[in-house]
Amino acid sequence: MSQPQAPDAHGLASYIPATAGPWLSEADQVFDAETIFDYIDGAGEVYRSYNMKLLVARRFHKDGKPDVVVDAFDMGSSEDAFGVFTHDLDGEDAAVGQGSTYKAGLLSFWKDRYFLSVYAEEETAETKGLVLELGRAIAAAIPREGPKPGLLKLLPPEGLEAERVRFFHNHSVLNYHFFVADTDILLLGQRAAAVLAEYRGSGGARSRLLVVEYADPGEAAQAGASFIKVYMPDAGGKTGVRTENGKWTAARIRGRHVAVVFDEDSEGKAGQRLEAFETLLAKAAEGRKER
Amino acid sequence: MSNRTITRRDFLKVASAAPLAGVLAPALKGAPGAPRAAGAAEEKVRVVLVRDPSPLGPGGAPPADVVQRMLDDAVRALLGEGDIDKAWKTLIRPEDVVGIKTNAWRYIPTTTEVEQSLKRRVMGAGVAEDRIGIDDRGVLRNPVFQKSTALINARPMRSHHWSGVGSLIKNYIMFVPQPSAYHGDTCADLATLWNLPEVKGKTRLNVLVMFTPLFHGVGPHHYAKEYVWDYKGLIVSRDPVAADATGLRIIQARRKAFFGDDRPLQMTPHHIQLADTRHHLGVSDPARIELVKLGWDEGILI
Repeated sequence: MSQPQAPDAHGLASYIPATAGPWLSEADQVFDAETIFDYIDGAGEVYRSYNMKLLVARRFHKDGKPDVVVDAFDMGSSEDAFGVFTHDLDGEDAAVGQGSTYKAGLLSFWKDRYFLSVYAEEETAETKGLVLELGRAIAAAIPREGPKPGLLKLLPPEGLEAERVRFFHNHSVLNYHFFVADTDILLLGQRAAAVLAEYRGSGGARSRLLVVEYADPGEAAQAGASFIKVYMPDAGGKTGVRTENGKWTAARIRGRHVAVVFDEDSEGKAGQRLEAFETLLAKAAEGRKER
Repeated sequence: MSNRTITRRDFLKVASAAPLAGVLAPALKGAPGAPRAAGAAEEKVRVVLVRDPSPLGPGGAPPADVVQRMLDDAVRALLGEGDIDKAWKTLIRPEDVVGIKTNAWRYIPTTTEVEQSLKRRVMGAGVAEDRIGIDDRGVLRNPVFQKSTALINARPMRSHHWSGVGSLIKNYIMFVPQPSAYHGDTCADLATLWNLPEVKGKTRLNVLVMFTPLFHGVGPHHYAKEYVWDYKGLIVSRDPVAADATGLRIIQARRKAFFGDDRPLQMTPHHIQLADTRHHLGVSDPARIELVKLGWDEGILI
């Protein structure tokens, strides 16, 4: 992970324009991880699950027109800014910041350690233009870019849908993207980091690769064992099982990492993807040694 | 009837929540949760869904007189009593101090029309106006709620970023000083709110407002006009879990119609099933719910 930065409300607010065309801004509201519930109730948990540090909210108002709201989150690290952006990837690419989507009046993007939501309370041609203009201005004002999570480098590229990769820490977020189990059988949480990737196979078949990085090999071993016990009780010592839908699930535990392939067409393909992951993991370890 | 195979993911979704848990249990030893024993000859819980095609006003409610009629029809059907004042007198005593727990969410509130319809009928049951309070976020500081002997629970249903849906069960979250204490496991145990001394045993009626439900959300505010529709309904029950389970079915049906698939809600709304199976607050199983439908049936989805 990149080094966490101290949150700075004034600095964050300075990235947001004071006006947006004829819309005038109201006084900023500032929230941290404890007070965010006062602003967006339980929705705050999503941002807390990505370690949010600070939120500056600025509302733009013009009589007779829908309000536009900018919510600027300092996530503390670019990895978590990327991660919270990947929580909802629906929408069209708006080419703003380091990654963006636009849908139904909402522009979401990330840049450096910041995640931005620019939202028109009602979408019109005028508010869509305003939202995009505001987003571009904010992105231009953020001086640096930040790195994506290193875990992305462990995803085998063949068949990978690179624009659909999710990064997260929390099992509730995993379940949102791909339901595994009601309980946290992979022992996720803030000490862990995970990527969930989608792969397209022949005939449009879709499989997934989950890679979790734990704080130490002991935690990875415990989590891998927990997953196999609950999800693959019929594995009988093998690394893969054919599940009720006729697809294959396979898991491997390597050092601090647990990798799981879900819904692959065959046992062989599931094994190949895990081997490709292991190769990339070894390469990453070599890269660290050389540095 | 769907021919879709039930997978271990389905099992692990319902193992701690729903009666389906028994289906795969023998095949998946070691999985958490246990099948729920079927009760013998259980009575059904009544839920009334009432709808009216009248146009909605700018606040998202039908005209006040239509809302009053909808509510009255629903309460009469719920309680099997033709006289509306008599019906309310079976719910509320003249000496009660009544809190109407509403919901003031910026985009889809309970609506003044529903609040005032409820207040009118509580007064019709003999309660003086100064013994009736209407509040949401201020309930802990509101003197009427502090002294309340009866509660009416009224809120809209909407999809929710963390609990799956905003529900009647969840509407009592404002009775705790720190709502986030109930956010664990995506709000799984919200039903325990109903054991708080401020609440326990006081709820006389639940009204799930379905005038303009939100079936999907985007962004931090979890709202876009694209994802609300004019359903123009109210769901009324003594049982908050049964009312929520019914509302959830409508939300899910709308999602299926809109998205064209069984796309899950952003977070699992398992707090509704768990309110039944873990906390025994009410009934979530549709097979144990007697759904009475009144009024407009076009696009009813259930």
